[in-house]
Amino acid sequence: MGDVPTTGQLGVLIAAMLVLLTGLFSSLRRWRLETRDPTLASASPYRVISKICLYAGTIDCIGVLIWHSHARGSWQPLEDNFGAFLWLAVLLSLFIIYTQRAHPLRGLDFFILPVVLLLLVLAIVFGKTKPHEYQETTWSIVHRVTAYGGFVAFAIAGAVGGMYLFANRRLRHKKLLPGQGFGSLERLEHITLMSVTLGFALLTVGLVTGLFRVLDPRRPNSLGPDWYRNPKVVLACVAWIVYALVLHSPINPAFRGRRTALLSVLGFVLMIGTFVAVQFMPGK
Amino acid sequence: MQRLLLLGLNHTTAPLEVREKLAFDAGQRDAALSAFAVRFPGCEAVLLSTCNRVELYISRETHGRPREEEMVDFLADFHQIPAQDFKDHLYYKANREAVEHLFAVTTSLNSMVLGETQILGQVRDAYEAACKAASCAKMLNPLFQRAIAVGKQVMHDTKLNEGRLSVASVAVDYAKNIFENFGDKTILSIGAGKMSQLVLQHFAALSPGQLLVCNRDAQKADALAAKFNGRAVEFDKLAEHLVVADIVVSSTGAPDAIITRARFEALRRQRRYRPIFLIDIAVPRDIEPAVGEIDNVYLYNLDDLQQVVAQNQSSRKEAVSAAMEIIARHIEEFAAWQRQRELGPAIQRLYTRYHQVAQEEVARTRHKLANMSDAEAAHLEDLARRIVNKVLNDPVQIMKQSDGVHTPAGQYMHAFEKLFRLENEDGSADGEKTG
Repeated sequence: MGDVPTTGQLGVLIAAMLVLLTGLFSSLRRWRLETRDPTLASASPYRVISKICLYAGTIDCIGVLIWHSHARGSWQPLEDNFGAFLWLAVLLSLFIIYTQRAHPLRGLDFFILPVVLLLLVLAIVFGKTKPHEYQETTWSIVHRVTAYGGFVAFAIAGAVGGMYLFANRRLRHKKLLPGQGFGSLERLEHITLMSVTLGFALLTVGLVTGLFRVLDPRRPNSLGPDWYRNPKVVLACVAWIVYALVLHSPINPAFRGRRTALLSVLGFVLMIGTFVAVQFMPGK
Repeated sequence: MQRLLLLGLNHTTAPLEVREKLAFDAGQRDAALSAFAVRFPGCEAVLLSTCNRVELYISRETHGRPREEEMVDFLADFHQIPAQDFKDHLYYKANREAVEHLFAVTTSLNSMVLGETQILGQVRDAYEAACKAASCAKMLNPLFQRAIAVGKQVMHDTKLNEGRLSVASVAVDYAKNIFENFGDKTILSIGAGKMSQLVLQHFAALSPGQLLVCNRDAQKADALAAKFNGRAVEFDKLAEHLVVADIVVSSTGAPDAIITRARFEALRRQRRYRPIFLIDIAVPRDIEPAVGEIDNVYLYNLDDLQQVVAQNQSSRKEAVSAAMEIIARHIEEFAAWQRQRELGPAIQRLYTRYHQVAQEEVARTRHKLANMSDAEAAHLEDLARRIVNKVLNDPVQIMKQSDGVHTPAGQYMHAFEKLFRLENEDGSADGEKTG
């Protein structure tokens, strides 16, 4: 029906991307100015612009989601590529908005907004294709929700991990003046671990439910007999192992700090690979 | 016309022993303001007394009281000390200079530490006390309100109060870049000297979970630990203390490094690879620089911290010119306001008086020229009005352009009122008519 996004929807989405990009640049500019000149006078217009752009871009994306769902005649999320990537982007944007209002963390948007923009690009690029025809079973619904949910959590972990690595490097090289950081390293590590914990739980459920789908004798195996060599499965499993190592850090503290952050970033890259690999998987 | 006067002394003009004699606590300040009002009725006063300055701001009529000597005598009488004990340390400023000085005080340009924010609160307290004592009125009320506003604007719009100026406070700021919560952290001080004490003072304000003091001299360690509710620990068990510590402040007089890389590497596993912030403020250094290369170890020495302090000092100095621009603008605005306040009514009376004179002369002329038409009469009135406006325009413009709080304007104003006989309400001098 309306699974494929219309030209109008794509146009509005591209506008949302431009607005978010403007917000990102304003935020970066403000940070540079405040690093050089902590007085707020010169930086406050950029703060306002970045905030407005973030809110406007998010509302724009939500509008496209509503439009797309209405056109499809179905309000169930994650049923098609376009909607799924859009959902992920909106959830991450909302996370930024919530965090900056409730527990401000400077620089969060520098690291998460690029992921949001990437997701919107993926929505545009892969939105018109439909690699899978999902058979609506409980397992497939749970599989999708947990896989995508895990992705959001890992995106946050990866972004905050990136912030940790950046701040850590500047501290160790003594290039960071007091008060110019992205929040304390302890806080960044805590957010990373919390996100990884949540994402890991979701990914585990996603993998298990995916396995049930694949091994269900009542339904044809969409991944074929060599499903265990499928790139999507391999990447997801490797990501699972990476995150297991991250969660291992309280037990084996050699993995804490910088290594946790590195692994979080690596894990997220693998997750992106998984999502991209899904687009090229043939079959039902 | 009101005259603004300032009499005072500060840390640059008077030593501590002299400032102590002249200082006012809150109770004495209130009593002094009341005594001042009794001695000099009709005169406004604000008394500012801090650890670094005592200043008396007053506003009185141009030829009124008190004069400078009377202000000195007042201070001497109140504290019951001879004026000679402090007279040589006083400065006396009037009008614009007094305004400039007050604005410099509230913006901390006149403070011992440039950019300190405490003075603004102290000026506000002094002003509020004067308001309570009803010794602030039409001059000091707007002046002090503006002075406080200038102080806030300078602090907000410039870098004058940005950045820390002590090694200890910079160290605390860096600790906040590493740790979020200090309630579960352990701070270890190796050494119990003056520098350690200074740094611990700042860290103790973060309410750490535990504060340990480690020193070869157990007595000194005990004494320092007791000051900050900490615990003295044995120097011989330093390795054990390094295992539990999250922040280490090292300031011993040891000739060689007491924490080496090899020694610290051996403790990492026991520490469970927790991040640690090492502050080495000893000269020669107590901690081997190679320790800073270990993962999750953040080592800052005295140079690193002093570099930040120097940068902040430099930023503050650069901010001085920006602050002075703001102050200059506010001084001009205050002067313009003052000018308007003093001149406005006088100019109004001047024009009223002389237009009235012109109207009287026009009426006399019309009476003599009975055949004058209405149009001609209108022209005559217009002529009289224009002549009055043109004649008065020059002196009025000169008055407006002079500085309202500067001495020349005060003299101009006085001469202005005398020359044009503006002392009376209706603008006419007694028993005299021109003509």
